[in-house]
Amino acid sequence: MSQDSHEFESLRRLLALKRHEQPPPGYFEHFSGEVIARIKAGEGAHESAMERLFWDAPWLQRLWAALETKPIMAGAFGAAVCALLVGSVVLSERPETQPLVSGLTATTAIPVQLANNGAGTDQPMTASTFGESVPAADSTAPASAADGIFGLVPRPTATLTTLTLPGSN
Amino acid sequence: MIMAEEPRRKPPQQLPEEPSSAESSPTDESELVQRARKGDLPAYDELVRRYQERIYATVYHMTANHEDANDLAQEAFIKAFHALKTFKGGSSFYTWIYRIAVNKTINFLKQRKHKPQMSLDDLDFNAEHDPDFVALISDKTPRRDVGLTELQEKLNAALQRLSEPHRLVVTLHDVQGLSHEEIAKIMHCNIGTVRSRLFYARQQLQAYLSDYVK
Repeated sequence: MSQDSHEFESLRRLLALKRHEQPPPGYFEHFSGEVIARIKAGEGAHESAMERLFWDAPWLQRLWAALETKPIMAGAFGAAVCALLVGSVVLSERPETQPLVSGLTATTAIPVQLANNGAGTDQPMTASTFGESVPAADSTAPASAADGIFGLVPRPTATLTTLTLPGSN
Repeated sequence: MIMAEEPRRKPPQQLPEEPSSAESSPTDESELVQRARKGDLPAYDELVRRYQERIYATVYHMTANHEDANDLAQEAFIKAFHALKTFKGGSSFYTWIYRIAVNKTINFLKQRKHKPQMSLDDLDFNAEHDPDFVALISDKTPRRDVGLTELQEKLNAALQRLSEPHRLVVTLHDVQGLSHEEIAKIMHCNIGTVRSRLFYARQQLQAYLSDYVK
């Protein structure tokens, strides 16, 4: 640094000239009085929420200033926000590639109480009751990529079933 | 024309005093801040008087315009008064008010669309006899016939060509006499950044003012 100081010695002497630039005589005698008068007049009392936020987060102020003064920055920021929005929409519509819950157990028994034919006893109606249509779901088997999370849940399929009402032939 | 005279050592004017001086001892300052926080305007008036010259000078050297400097310096003190409740005392009031003034000034300069209109303060009568200036023109300046006013204008024009952060570092260090550490606190950056900005700014100024400095 001492080499730097020597290198810029002439410049530093020149810059020292600025210390001699003084405001009009008597200027500072009235300065504080004007400040106090403006405070008494209520100036600056209502600081906006934005100003308070800027004061709490100086980086936000710098970002805002950059956006305000540089159109390219403002455009780039807008484009980035749009890209983020579009990207998140696209991602949210894409099916999951990994099972979210690996230990989910599929229940094959469907607790539907129906009047049973002849027996008169209430039996829970299982998949086999309907003549087997529910695949034996292996809950631990990974779902295929196409199935996504819904691959873990047994798919109900419609099969032709004959129901006989009690008392009818 | 400036006549070269025997260099005379005298303390440079407007050099900032350390905040730890008797005038602004931490106890007195914190007491004034506490009173001002409760709305005691005479206490705040005392704080303003203490720092008005340094704050004005910093803003003036950044803007090269007396009217702008007057407005910005006053607004900085007004904003500081209303923000006193948020002042936690983590730094000195001196650093804090400097930061407010510097932020205000940089925002103002970024939003100023037109080319800066210089409205320079007059040089005081000691300028011609400043030993630094006398030494500069007596043996090193290529243009010895330069007048003080012309030199002042060229110097300010060169400063205005620097970016705001670089101008601020030069102003605070080479004009105001603040240390690297103080500047780092004011600018919210590390000392290495201050040093590198200072070096770059000096290089730029050296190039802009090559007719006047060797």
